[in-house]
Amino acid sequence: MDSVYLKRDKAGRINIKAGNRVNSVINWTVLSLTLLTVTAFLFFDYTGLEIGRAIMETAVNLRTMFLQPSLNHFSWGEALFQVGVTISLAVIATILGAVIAFFLALWSAVNLANKWVSKSIKIFVAFIRAVPTVLWVLIFAIAAGLGSEAAILGMLFHSIAYLVKAFSEAFEEVDKGMLEALRSTGSGWWHTIVHAVLPSTSTYLLSWTFLRFEINFSVAVAMGAAAGAGGIGFELFMASGFYFDLREVGFITYAILLVAIVLEVASTHLKKRYFSS
Amino acid sequence: MSLLQVKDLNKSYQTDTKVLKNINFSAGTGEFLSVIGPSGAGKSTLLRCINRLVQADKGEILFGGQDLLKLRKKELRAARTNIGMIFQHYNLVPRLTVIENVLHGRFGYKSTLQGVLGRFSEEEKERAFYLLEKLGIEAHAYKRCDQLSGGQQQRVGICRALIQNPKLILCDEPIASLDPHSSKVIMDHLKSISEEMGITCIVNLHQVEVAQSYSDRIIGLNNGSIVFDGSNFQLDQLYIKRVYGMETRELITV
Ligand SMILES: Nc1ncnc2c1ncn2[C@@H]1O[C@H](COP(=O)(O)OP(=O)(O)OP(=O)(O)O)[C@@H](O)[C@H]1O
Ligand SMILES: [Mg+2]
Repeated sequence: MDSVYLKRDKAGRINIKAGNRVNSVINWTVLSLTLLTVTAFLFFDYTGLEIGRAIMETAVNLRTMFLQPSLNHFSWGEALFQVGVTISLAVIATILGAVIAFFLALWSAVNLANKWVSKSIKIFVAFIRAVPTVLWVLIFAIAAGLGSEAAILGMLFHSIAYLVKAFSEAFEEVDKGMLEALRSTGSGWWHTIVHAVLPSTSTYLLSWTFLRFEINFSVAVAMGAAAGAGGIGFELFMASGFYFDLREVGFITYAILLVAIVLEVASTHLKKRYFSS
Repeated sequence: MSLLQVKDLNKSYQTDTKVLKNINFSAGTGEFLSVIGPSGAGKSTLLRCINRLVQADKGEILFGGQDLLKLRKKELRAARTNIGMIFQHYNLVPRLTVIENVLHGRFGYKSTLQGVLGRFSEEEKERAFYLLEKLGIEAHAYKRCDQLSGGQQQRVGICRALIQNPKLILCDEPIASLDPHSSKVIMDHLKSISEEMGITCIVNLHQVEVAQSYSDRIIGLNNGSIVFDGSNFQLDQLYIKRVYGMETRELITV
């Protein structure tokens, strides 16, 4: 006789997953999405499309783009400058965001702050995070007009929300006994923050900030195109949508890729050097 | 005159179960007092009520003429400088050096800005080194605390408490995570602190033998009430049974 808690499926085998419901919901979702995708293909307008030629032309385009990249509408120096503009956008948004997020995270870590203050900040920040960065940029564009100001504000806003969550979780991991020990000596709140919480979490704070910087760089590229924030993203937009210059698109893509690789290498290097212990 | 006087102390975490029930006792200057009792009796809660790491519900804790339970934030900070605390798990900041951790004991005397900037006077640093030397760990002064053994970390914890110039030191199971040799070193240091420096020590202990051989007085706690309060030779089999609910020979003793 089976124990009351033991569950079997229809074939009589013993279940080892907890919820059958969750599994079946997932299965149904995947199945219906697949069906939708397949039917969508049937309803496309295929007039004048020859699959063979389409594939050929795409291949040719890709080849011009990536095997013959060149600059036609601006110089090397300018390209470098534009990449610099994009990086600066990301740097400003990340650094300002990290500083503001640090203080907000202190008030929102349950072990450091008042319960109600912490709850309100967390809810507020979750709301900001739920809206994508691009939307925030467009929202700020109403007040600031499309351009770098709106882009930075939007990125800043989302960075703050993202980092507050990451930072406050790092703060909440701090050993409770350590805080108690300092309180028992008569230390004030700021003493505890600066001399116990910060030393124990600084490496996490830095690596979260760096991760956010990488995200902000790619967002800044997109914002250059979508919000006219300038930088390499805007040039990419002009090259593809305005001049139809495939070679330049290829060049810009390589430039962005290169920066991304440099950032990645730099961050790994920094982590190895400073965060090893 | 007694340094510390606890009157009718009551504490409950949840409303229905009382963890401490009408606790009354006092401790004199330089006295070495042990608190024994089974797990969950409320020993840690009692110590934490004294320096208000947990908030007592009712009662009075007279320390140096003032009722600790009535103090506001700022006065409480000032009062806490007179009460050192030593923890089972040392509770040092692991990424900082030994000397930095010792100096943390001075924050209670500092303004926010002074403390945040980590400004310590030369006398304070000299005092820190003097204490490290006294406890025999001055060689490790510039090591990070996570590189130290448990016994060494506990000695850093003692230095951090001593640099406060406390009148009272609360120790919550200071030797529960240590081997017998380190335990003896720590207990000897605590004993000499109370004898030579005249600092009152209240020590939570799990080992009856240790309590008996070091203490001037023992308090036995069971289920939130004091069931024994007397000198170590008065603690006989009958009282041990009352405290732990069983005879010594049934207990695992060190
Ligand atoms: N933060 C807390 N919240 C709720 N209940 C608690 C809390 N801390 C302790 N208790 C309860 O209070 C009672 C006394 O706990 P306390 O830690 O004081 O016991 P103790 O005598 O120190 O035990 P041990 O020897 O195991 O350390 C226990 O029943 C415990 O469950
Ligand atoms: Mg305890």
